[in-house]
Amino acid sequence: MDLWRYIGRRLAQIVIIFFVILTVLFLVFRLAPGDPITRMVDPDMTPEDAALLIAQLGLDQPLHIQYIYYVKNFFAGQFGDSFHYGQPVLDIIKHRLPNTILLFTTSIILSALVGVFLGKIASWHKGKKTDTGMTIGALVTHTLFLPWLALLLIWIFAYKMGWFPITGMVSEDIWLDPTSQFWQKALDVGHHLVLPLGTLFLFHFGSYLLIMRSSMLETLKEDYILTARAKGLTEKVIRNRHAAPNAALPVVTTVGLSLAFSINGGALTETVFTWPGIGRELVFSVSQNDYPLAQATFLLITLVVLVSNLVVDVLYAYLDPRIRY
Amino acid sequence: MAEAKPQRIKIHWIAQFQEGWSIYKQNILGKIGLTLLVIFALMALFSFLPPLIDPMYHPMTGVDPVISSSTGPSLKHWLGTDFMGRDILSQLLAGARVAFMVGVSAAFMSIFLGTAIGMISGYMGKFVDTFLMRLAEVIMVMPTLLVTLILAALFGQLSIWAIVLVIALFRWPGVSRVIRAQTLSLKQRPFIEAAKVAGASHVRIIFRHIMPNVLPLSFLYMTFRVTSAITIEAALAFLGFGDPSTVSWGMMLQWVWKTGHMFKAPYWLLPPGICISLITLSFYMLGRAMDEVLDPRLRREG
Repeated sequence: MDLWRYIGRRLAQIVIIFFVILTVLFLVFRLAPGDPITRMVDPDMTPEDAALLIAQLGLDQPLHIQYIYYVKNFFAGQFGDSFHYGQPVLDIIKHRLPNTILLFTTSIILSALVGVFLGKIASWHKGKKTDTGMTIGALVTHTLFLPWLALLLIWIFAYKMGWFPITGMVSEDIWLDPTSQFWQKALDVGHHLVLPLGTLFLFHFGSYLLIMRSSMLETLKEDYILTARAKGLTEKVIRNRHAAPNAALPVVTTVGLSLAFSINGGALTETVFTWPGIGRELVFSVSQNDYPLAQATFLLITLVVLVSNLVVDVLYAYLDPRIRY
Repeated sequence: MAEAKPQRIKIHWIAQFQEGWSIYKQNILGKIGLTLLVIFALMALFSFLPPLIDPMYHPMTGVDPVISSSTGPSLKHWLGTDFMGRDILSQLLAGARVAFMVGVSAAFMSIFLGTAIGMISGYMGKFVDTFLMRLAEVIMVMPTLLVTLILAALFGQLSIWAIVLVIALFRWPGVSRVIRAQTLSLKQRPFIEAAKVAGASHVRIIFRHIMPNVLPLSFLYMTFRVTSAITIEAALAFLGFGDPSTVSWGMMLQWVWKTGHMFKAPYWLLPPGICISLITLSFYMLGRAMDEVLDPRLRREG
């Protein structure tokens, strides 16, 4: 099948792109001013441990051998130890990744669904008050400075109203209490999730709304909409069954293309809310000069963007039968 | 998105501008955006004034001799002072200057790169095209803010111009893709064939025949790049990796946040955030209104 060949080709491209990034990162880390050994080996380590790690990472070898070590270590999941935590980087990432996935995917899905829904309504009322209001609302929320929005929400809903916790992801008294049920813990995380999720949602839904709106307006000019009208179908059926599914396709592409951009926002949100995710870990590791952790989280994020782009491409091909590769 | 643009035959630039302006004027959002930008430009212009009145109004080094903590608005300090007793209004004005400086210069550079690379890629095709577009893809998957963070970790404190340069180098691929698509369609047009037959060189065709036709599109993208450059710089400063020798709005927010004043001092928390958001919004509205001028399909009743 053609689709499989297309996926194979994209996969090959992704592997190449990832290797390029892997290599560039290697060179940047080695060629930046300063000594790579001090950058990869924790200054607080005992000399024996340090010697072991240097041998493991190949830091005592010439540059091209180091590169082979580096690639090998990458595939073995060996990123060295975090300076700050004193643990293998991989363990830290394993702990943080689910938290980021929880916050990030729910926010993307929620804002895309609401954006598509509202965009559909706005396009249907083109030029009227509903449309103008929604367009302006979308423009304003989408251009808000994200960390500031996060601070505002914390200030209003956590500090003034006291409805939500100010930062963090769990309440210690619930999680350390052995008698807590699973649902209590889940509810606790949900309670902490509201504000960061709300921040990302408010920031993102506007762009989906605007794209859906203009895409709907384009679609409504298509011949098959005219045909549907001529058949005497109701406006509601035309809007929901004939126009909207086709108009939603560009939104899918946008989700994929803007992913790298959304990750910036995710990292900022995690940092302000001290949400223990990958993005916050990257920001934190940079401020702590924790190079092994910074390098690994950065690689992981680019890998996620690459793979998600592939998923979006495949999804697009699946959703739109006109596209065949 | 905004790809297929109508072919414009070169008439008089002024007549074209007037025609565009008359369409632009009908767009209310565009007018609001432009007005706000004029206000921000005036803010940037007047940012030189406060330190001249009294050295204590210097945004970075000026400290009110009698105030040593954050105070609310007063006659002497219209927007209050920050944790060291520095005037918030003069910081806000200085921030406008930095925002324009960062936004416009980074956007100009990335648009220049994006347009040049897009035209070369589309016109030359083959190996050059594959290489440049793969390069664009490599850059596109790396979140610009995080790249700048990594570079700040490795090279230490980045100066404001280094930040501008990094943003410019990482924000051209989106533009180059659009310009490339436009160039590909232009390449098929008879007037390019005619120029080739007349013996024009590649360089001449690119600069004399293709460039005038893609430039409006480049300028449109420039407005969107300005917003992204301003936001990235602000976010970087907010996280504590900005240029410590400049007062930017992001830096001001970092001070509010890091000194724990965000719940105590709304007079300090609100202005910089409103400014960043509004300047982004105005460039965005400007871009959308320009889009309407350039693309007749988007106009009302179109």
